[in-house]
Amino acid sequence: MSYKTDYNAVAGLGRANEGVHHFWMQRLTSIALVPLTILFLIPFGRALGGGHEALVATYGQFGNAVTAILFIAVACWHFAIGMQVVIEDYLAGGARLVLVILTKLFSATLAVSGIIWPSPPSCSAPEDRPNVCLSNRTTHL
Amino acid sequence: MVQLTLPKNSKIRTGKTWPKPEGAKNTRTFRIYRWSPDDGENPRVDTYFVDMDTCGPMVLDALIKIKNEIDPTLTFRRSCREGICGSCAMNIDGRNTLACIFGMDEIKGDVKIYPLPHMPVVKDLVPDLTHFYAQHESIMPWLETKSNTPAKEWKQSVEDRAKLDRLYECVMCACCSTSCPSYWWNADRYLGPAALLHAYRWIIDSRDETTGERLDDLHDPFKLYRCHTIMNCASTCPKGLNPAKAIAEIKKMMVERVV
Amino acid sequence: MADVNRGNRPLSPHLQIYRLPLVAKISIMTRITGVGMMAGGILVVWWFVAGAYSPDYFAVADALLTSWFGLLVLVGSLWALWFHFANGIRHFFFDLGKGFDLPTVARSNWYVIGASVVLTGLTLLLV
Repeated sequence: MSYKTDYNAVAGLGRANEGVHHFWMQRLTSIALVPLTILFLIPFGRALGGGHEALVATYGQFGNAVTAILFIAVACWHFAIGMQVVIEDYLAGGARLVLVILTKLFSATLAVSGIIWPSPPSCSAPEDRPNVCLSNRTTHL
Repeated sequence: MVQLTLPKNSKIRTGKTWPKPEGAKNTRTFRIYRWSPDDGENPRVDTYFVDMDTCGPMVLDALIKIKNEIDPTLTFRRSCREGICGSCAMNIDGRNTLACIFGMDEIKGDVKIYPLPHMPVVKDLVPDLTHFYAQHESIMPWLETKSNTPAKEWKQSVEDRAKLDRLYECVMCACCSTSCPSYWWNADRYLGPAALLHAYRWIIDSRDETTGERLDDLHDPFKLYRCHTIMNCASTCPKGLNPAKAIAEIKKMMVERVV
Repeated sequence: MADVNRGNRPLSPHLQIYRLPLVAKISIMTRITGVGMMAGGILVVWWFVAGAYSPDYFAVADALLTSWFGLLVLVGSLWALWFHFANGIRHFFFDLGKGFDLPTVARSNWYVIGASVVLTGLTLLLV
């Protein structure tokens, strides 16, 4: 039996002095995603199903490439922030901690993966070393 | 933490069906949650039939009639019977409200009555509100000042007084907090709509001199930011108040302090 | 405190008996769509990565995304995206302290649902 008072239970470990930044970032990323979503969906939808030529033609363009990179990066950021809240709502203790960390890792990985872009037409990678074009890509952008 | 199903000791059994009142032509069916600390049994839902021809219009009228005429062991809180004391808060027809000001004509079919949701039950329709009251106490629901006390009174303009409207009317019935899913899952750390509405009531009081400290006290991912504007609080408040809006105003002030 | 019987008290029913208003259902849908659209998100990023890897590998990804299964996930995620987007816009107003009175909420509920359907149709038409 615990002799802790009810007030003690409410006070807990006290306030964390944290939360407004998280809240503000969630709003800022969502505002950024309003134009980015629209600008991303149209070229993406048109390139989808058009084969590699359509991909290169669409995302060889500077504007489309930058919009897509920003969209994927900001969306992953927004996801990481939002998913953390979901996990905190429904889980406690160790499971909460582990899942929040995994969410951040997953979101960061997905965001970085989205920055790997199609090879420019001029680059023809040798069969055994397809990654050559990836490094080319960096300089191309 | 979320637990979608009820714990083992809280699962509801089918209860007893009480006899219909003799000679009554116009009866209505009531299904009421029962639990007694004395018999060691799980909660159950009992069925009662009330003669509507001799019953008042409000749900509380029917509850009192059942207690007087059918089953004196039925336990519930009530006092003012006019929506100002907040005692008879309970879940009626799937939403939280005050039994004394909720008319039975607003309900279709059987009248289902449960205690306020996701709370420890003391007996029947009486929930344990000690944690809820302690949360209210934690937001310092009183005027805090630092200046020397004036000779007569702390003055307030008519405009500043008007800012307290739709906040001061709260009767602390706990309908809002116990309707909030966020409060269901995280009441140990989330203060809940009622306590936060009261916090805002003192934050915007022009006479209070600890606005910053009050905001500091709420700056926490759980105490304040578990509110996701689900709107159950405002949808269910029997006094027509809007805790969700009060919380949004606190969040706005939090942002104003940093950008 | 010092109440000996407190440990045995049952928990009153909650989700089992609460009739959630439409606005609360939209709120939980916003959360579900937010998490669920990641299915489409993963496919899209995989599509880009495949494109960077080789034209042959990309052909596989492009075909899978435009297969009936791929399109099901993508169109589902698209609707989820617009639903999340539409209620997100409503939340901007909430965050500004606007649109909280219940009649306005009752109206904006349907704006959100309507917008999610219209925007999904519009996107499918445009691309």
